[in-house]
Amino acid sequence: MLARVANNLFWMGRYIERSEHIARYMNVNYFSSLDAPNARSQDRQFVLRSMLFMVGDPVHDDSTVLEEEKVLYKIGLNPEFPFSIINNVKYARENANSARDLISTELYESINKFYHFVLNYPVETFVKNGLYDFTVNVAEMTAILRGKIRGTLLHDSVYAIILMGVNIERATQIIRIINTKYNDALEAQGSYGDKFSNSFEWTTLLKCAESYDMMRRLYKKTPTSISTLEFLILNPNCPRSVMNSLNQVHKHIKQLDQSTKYNKNSTAFLVGKVRSEYEFKHIEEIEGNIQAFIDQILKSLTEISQKMDKEFFNY
Amino acid sequence: MSSEYSITYKAENHYENWVHDAHWQFLIIPEQNNTQEFVSVDFKNSLGAINEYSINGYGFRTIRIQPRKKFKEISFEANFRLLKKEVNPFDFELGEEIVKSYQKIQELDFKVDFEPFLRKTHYTTLPEKDSTIFQFDTEKSIFENLKALNHWTFIHIYFKTGVTDVHTTLHEIIDNRHGVCQDFSHLFCALARQNGIPARYVSGYLHQGNGYFGDSQMHAWAEAYVPNIGWVGFDPTNDLLANTDHIKVAHGKDYADCSPLRGVVYSKGKNTTSHAVQVLQQQQ
Amino acid sequence: MGKIENRIFSSYERNPILYDEIYDKNGDIKNVYQKLFDLYGGHSIRDYVKLNTKAKSSFFNQGITFQVYDEKESQEKIFPFDLFPRIIDQDEWDVIERGAIQRSKALNLFLWDVYHDKKIIKDGVVPMELISSSANYLDQMIGIDPPGGIYNHISGTDVIKHNDGKYYVLEDNIRCPSGVSYVICNRTALKRALFGVFNHYRTYSVTNYAENLLDLLETTKPKGVDTPNCVVITPGMYNSAFYEHSYLAKTMGVELVEGRDLFVENDFVYMKTIGGPLKVDIIYRRIDDAFIDPLEFRPDSALGVPGLFAAYKKGNVTLANAPGTGVADDKAVYTYMPQIIKYYLDEEPILNNVHTYHCSRPDELKYVLEHIPELVIKPVDEAGGYGISIGNRLTKEEIETIKKQVKENPRKYVAQPIMSLSVHPTYIDDSESFEQRHVDLRTFTVLGKDKEFVLKGGLTRVALKKGNLIVNSSQGGGSKDTWVLKE
Repeated sequence: MLARVANNLFWMGRYIERSEHIARYMNVNYFSSLDAPNARSQDRQFVLRSMLFMVGDPVHDDSTVLEEEKVLYKIGLNPEFPFSIINNVKYARENANSARDLISTELYESINKFYHFVLNYPVETFVKNGLYDFTVNVAEMTAILRGKIRGTLLHDSVYAIILMGVNIERATQIIRIINTKYNDALEAQGSYGDKFSNSFEWTTLLKCAESYDMMRRLYKKTPTSISTLEFLILNPNCPRSVMNSLNQVHKHIKQLDQSTKYNKNSTAFLVGKVRSEYEFKHIEEIEGNIQAFIDQILKSLTEISQKMDKEFFNY
Repeated sequence: MSSEYSITYKAENHYENWVHDAHWQFLIIPEQNNTQEFVSVDFKNSLGAINEYSINGYGFRTIRIQPRKKFKEISFEANFRLLKKEVNPFDFELGEEIVKSYQKIQELDFKVDFEPFLRKTHYTTLPEKDSTIFQFDTEKSIFENLKALNHWTFIHIYFKTGVTDVHTTLHEIIDNRHGVCQDFSHLFCALARQNGIPARYVSGYLHQGNGYFGDSQMHAWAEAYVPNIGWVGFDPTNDLLANTDHIKVAHGKDYADCSPLRGVVYSKGKNTTSHAVQVLQQQQ
Repeated sequence: MGKIENRIFSSYERNPILYDEIYDKNGDIKNVYQKLFDLYGGHSIRDYVKLNTKAKSSFFNQGITFQVYDEKESQEKIFPFDLFPRIIDQDEWDVIERGAIQRSKALNLFLWDVYHDKKIIKDGVVPMELISSSANYLDQMIGIDPPGGIYNHISGTDVIKHNDGKYYVLEDNIRCPSGVSYVICNRTALKRALFGVFNHYRTYSVTNYAENLLDLLETTKPKGVDTPNCVVITPGMYNSAFYEHSYLAKTMGVELVEGRDLFVENDFVYMKTIGGPLKVDIIYRRIDDAFIDPLEFRPDSALGVPGLFAAYKKGNVTLANAPGTGVADDKAVYTYMPQIIKYYLDEEPILNNVHTYHCSRPDELKYVLEHIPELVIKPVDEAGGYGISIGNRLTKEEIETIKKQVKENPRKYVAQPIMSLSVHPTYIDDSESFEQRHVDLRTFTVLGKDKEFVLKGGLTRVALKKGNLIVNSSQGGGSKDTWVLKE
């Protein structure tokens, strides 16, 4: 496979995944805030700020009053805003275009349909009453794409590269969401006991990661900071957890790098190292200093991405 | 008797910003022919990139370089040593039958065989008004006429550097009557071709020990095809026939076929380039 | 023939002067079309519109689109496609196929000759100006023996049917002829929309193009290579034919590369893969000559590969088509095709040439200037239907303008009698009915070493504007699926 095309496939995977997380984040936060149990969590300004924080465009000035329609447009459909969903989908398709000869017709067709759906979504409808419809469709279409990736591609290096992108992005986005919700929970604390630990925002966080139901099944209790973080970071069986993503990344890097020789400079080595670090971590270690943990894991993920770039994409 | 020449070619490029990708192709190696025998070639670049020896589209030897790392400056230095056989430019039978040779150049086979060197190219197209500026006297032999053309060009243009560049066409040269060796050679080729004689532009080195014009860059002259004799070198810049001091690198239809350095550099911002050539002769 | 009410064609207006592909001289449906006519006739125009819309969205979703750039933003459009196929029976096809091979072979021999001994010029069969004043003659190709002896691996021969019922060649495209992916997409779309009609006809498949192309390209591999590594090189995804480039790479099962994916080292070509450099032996290039190597041709080209030509000259890589083939698809060469075929193959041309007047010859120039309303005036060196003037469509002022242009630069123009392209029923969106539209046919011929292949089908291009004769997609043309029938 060409190095340049591999790079494009990697980023195609990342952009598909990224657009889904942004869409779901918008959806869950907006709609769960409507009947949230406390005033802070219900506050529209609070929700809009949370969305902007998540996409990497935080509002620092507390006195700024945000307009809902403008914020929704910016994150959803503004072609001028580099982190908008529409741009993510555009980039995903552009990357797919350049690798069209390597991916299946079915996958390409689905990406293309996805692109046309987002591109043609009427802005007026979206900002007035289309948020639910739009974001649910984005989430569903990305699920279809994952299905097409799994079901119509040869499980070879092309597949491995795409899934590396998907999983690195997923881990990154989950961490970003945790980061945002961690900040939200500091602001919107619960009403009893350890107010931070019992914040309503942990439930929202789980829903953002499509993991609420599974979490309830496992813990059978209202989510707290510790149970939520344990589930989303360390539980290897939760398909959205950081641990699960790292396991996937590890599996696919092995597919790409089949050398049996020990090479401490390889991406495979780095991935293995990071993965085992989290495999044997327990939640108490993290809970003490969540912020430091978040910074550390984001750094590790960036390092993996950079190393891949050097080893595979940049002959 | 033959002389040994030692030629040094240097080039230096400086760039304002990092260059991440660059390719160069040098057309500076003297040609191997029956008067030029190669002794050695040594080529270095300051980045230690591999020097790839190759052949260009016209069959001349080139050196290609692609540094695989980013840089802001690069310099090149080439040293060639070669033996040049003593050339007597008049060393051929002038048994040219005048009428027959003018008939020869009219033949279709002749025109087809020498077609590229009879063609009007970008640099060798005469302005319409000047198409009869130099006409052959068919009473005299083709060789005599070419010598006269050589002299005419030498007289018509005043050697002056800095007034023309690689983009100058004949229109300006004829009107302004000054230029450098390239311009002399283009005008010579154009007028020879205008009179039906195949002519080619030659790029090479000139040993300047004898006070010839040719500056410290590469030199240019021309070769014209004389029926029954072959290609004969004319240096209109110096009103000479090419001789031992002319060390040929390549020929072509005009400068565009022979430019000593072609490069593709992906970089933004300004850059500066300098070249220098030195030719030394050791009598043997 | 019993009168069946044919709902879909009830409003079809037939201009008796034009040669209609589906009607014979007496105004009856031709045998080969009868079944199709009945089958389509069973539908209402509403059904047809529905199918048409579906087919369009299938093209759109598959991304079989081209970009249209206007001032504000680029837009994606699909190539207009017509669901009513064109049928060519075995006997007619046989003529086209043999004719296309004959021309491609003759052109290959012509190219060899003009880059070697130039015998055809020395023998006075064609004038020297064909090479000396051609912008597409590459001096660098002189004396090079292309691997396998092939220059024009892929030729696109455009043929039309005149109102005398005979096929004429309009031009030979032997640089980078495009359109073959649409042949296959048209077939796929028609199958998706109207699979039933295929039960009634035995039609040759068109999906075997890519495998044949790869097979034949491999016969022209460089010396000393056992299993050649072939790639397709594209100018990139913003090129209007990018879909075709990716389609071909995918169906040939080879990598689609851009110039920046390749590099030359010691006169061999390599591509940059995730596992390091990999040698490349055959390049099906969809980049014009001038852009393939910035060190040898246009220095400002960022599309090509520095050093590629040196590798080619050494015989270390095959380029398909070879550089410099453009000299043989100039319109000036076209006019000598009958002589060229005779000279190299000692055969009579199987397909007719349209008579051509050379404005460079004084007597012919005189004729052209006097007869502009009856002629098509073409610049010699433009492709894609640009710069063509059709005499009977011009106003008086326009005629004067053309006259002036031709007089000023007679060498630049040739003229031909106005050919009456045959017409074919075509569904027209605006009127929601079938109307007669002019069609031509681009055929695709692949030459390998001692082997050749003609795609049994080709691209039927339709001039969608009423009365228009220019079918190029850049000029608002559409296309139809083309069926070649088995006996």
